[in-house]
Amino acid sequence: MMPRYRAISLAALLVPALLLASLMLGDRHVDLAALIKGEATAEVRTIVMDLRLPRALMALLAGMALGIAGTIAQAVMRNPLAEPGILGINAGAAFAGSIVIVGFTGLSVTVLPWAGFVGATTMAAAVFLLSWRKGTSSARIVLIGIGLGAFASAGTSVMIAFADIADVQRLMIWLAGSIYDANWDKICLLLAWLIVPITLVCLFYRQIDLIRFGDDVAASLGQRVNLVRAGMILLCTAISGATVTVAGLIGFVGLIAPHLARRMVGPGHARLLPASALVGGLLLMAADLVGRTIIAPVQLPAGIVTALIGAPFLAYLLWGRRHVPA
Amino acid sequence: MRGVGRDRGLLLALLVLLGLAVVIAAQAVAMGTTPFSLAQVGEAIFAFDGSRDHLVITMLRLPRVLAGLLVGAALAAAGAVMQAATGNPLASPGLLGINAGAAFAVILAMALPTIGAATGGGLLGYAFIGAAITGFAVHVLGSLGTNGATPLKLVLAGAVISTFLTSLTTAVLIFDQATLDVVRLWTLGSLSGRTMNDVMAVAPFVGIGLVAVLLLRAQFTTLSLGAEISGGLGQSPLLWRTISVVLVVLLAGSAVALAGPVGFVGLVMPHVARLLVGADYRWILPYSVVGGALLVVVADMVGRSLFASQDFPVGVTLALIGAPFFLWLARYRLRGA
Repeated sequence: MMPRYRAISLAALLVPALLLASLMLGDRHVDLAALIKGEATAEVRTIVMDLRLPRALMALLAGMALGIAGTIAQAVMRNPLAEPGILGINAGAAFAGSIVIVGFTGLSVTVLPWAGFVGATTMAAAVFLLSWRKGTSSARIVLIGIGLGAFASAGTSVMIAFADIADVQRLMIWLAGSIYDANWDKICLLLAWLIVPITLVCLFYRQIDLIRFGDDVAASLGQRVNLVRAGMILLCTAISGATVTVAGLIGFVGLIAPHLARRMVGPGHARLLPASALVGGLLLMAADLVGRTIIAPVQLPAGIVTALIGAPFLAYLLWGRRHVPA
Repeated sequence: MRGVGRDRGLLLALLVLLGLAVVIAAQAVAMGTTPFSLAQVGEAIFAFDGSRDHLVITMLRLPRVLAGLLVGAALAAAGAVMQAATGNPLASPGLLGINAGAAFAVILAMALPTIGAATGGGLLGYAFIGAAITGFAVHVLGSLGTNGATPLKLVLAGAVISTFLTSLTTAVLIFDQATLDVVRLWTLGSLSGRTMNDVMAVAPFVGIGLVAVLLLRAQFTTLSLGAEISGGLGQSPLLWRTISVVLVVLLAGSAVALAGPVGFVGLVMPHVARLLVGADYRWILPYSVVGGALLVVVADMVGRSLFASQDFPVGVTLALIGAPFFLWLARYRLRGA
């Protein structure tokens, strides 16, 4: 059991370390000691307090939310490839976003996050309603999610194929997911939106443990499977819809964070949920830091960097546990 | 007795579907800005006389329809094999990184003109090489260790490598507008402008792959039962998962080379077949092959006539007409589970 806790405590220690690094590194190197002593100029204070700190915190929060949403999706769908995107959330948000970017070029950019949110929740609701026939089943939700997702993606593809190339490029940057316009208002908004669903998820972690075993087992142990599944999907949608609103479409974190966490703490959700949140937050914070510093002044969207640093890491984990039966 | 009757019915239905595919393919060749009769199509193929009409049929229409048939059959077969080998309904040829690898190779070749110019081959070659390398890399990463390629390791390895490559591709496209403009139609899957040479270059690979898949359909049925049962029946799951990967790379790699990363057919056609004929891969595979070919040709026909554009990406029409049908099936035909 030792390595288990070693890995997770290492991850927990990495959070403050990464946070400090995010505050210091960038176009302009900031001396934190001077800042704390109050010797820094107003300009430096603005850079740290109004730009870098909110951005790092936002990455942490959004990553944690995605990690939790991914854990729920994998448990409820009982599929290791499941992620919040399976509910059509990403495809719906992408379609709504592409309509706004390509169809209404004059519209203010502030509409974009809300369009994404509306697209995401509409899609999730449609997937769930279409799957409902005297109850739902994981298999049906997965298939309906694939079908509706393909439909919405086709709509997005039409825009990509025929719209003005400059708009398409803007669309692709948004689709890649990024957090470069973080500010304190957005953080408060995200926190306020996330606090209820995440609390509920943590309260009902035993139900998630149960539903993972399959409908029959869960039902025979007294679970109201349809109710729990509906509730969990609702929570998953609320959590990932909120991250779409503030950070655009950040893929991969929701898929990979639960897998990384499972390798650290095992399958029980009492430990898995916080561990996934931790891993997701770390991953996105690291991705954003790398994305904005590695080829500065050009910024790589965090959604791209998450995969570029997360994928080799998971590959390394697969290598390390290659003899473990799974 | 009931089983025999059902088999006979399924075989009959398959033959009807095959006949339908042939008729529709002929119709697809005949249909277009200059409509031809089916007799003219037949003459152009069997008694070519070099006239303008015959040239249009053999140089433009026929390669496009043949490409559609090949791509549809190959992707649907590859998708069915993937789903049998991994036991995961979300598995598709794209999961082996085929699409991501092909797209990355093509975009790399276009964004770095030195590589592109040095080799001189078209998109076709890059796409196939990219797809093949990625497919085998996924298999190697997924089968590390003493217990070999378990479905979980394979799908995780696939997700890891394809997401990695997709991110690299996106990163290139975000900064390189010129390349984005050139490849955006290709990345959605398109049949426009494919020549007979392109089709002929790919046809042998697809042919070998399809024959192998159809001959081995009973083995894939066993494989789809999971490692414990198939092992108990005397099949080596490791060997057969490796064979599956080779066949999927062959089929889907060729299809992606020919038409770009078409996603929908490989994922959805096996499900459609399963919803229609049940869980037996001896039937899912042939139905997927014929149904996939039919679906792509119909989608391309609809795209050409509805949007009056030669360039409308077939990947988009496929999803637009295929998704509602699939949703209906998933809602009303999904049994058990």
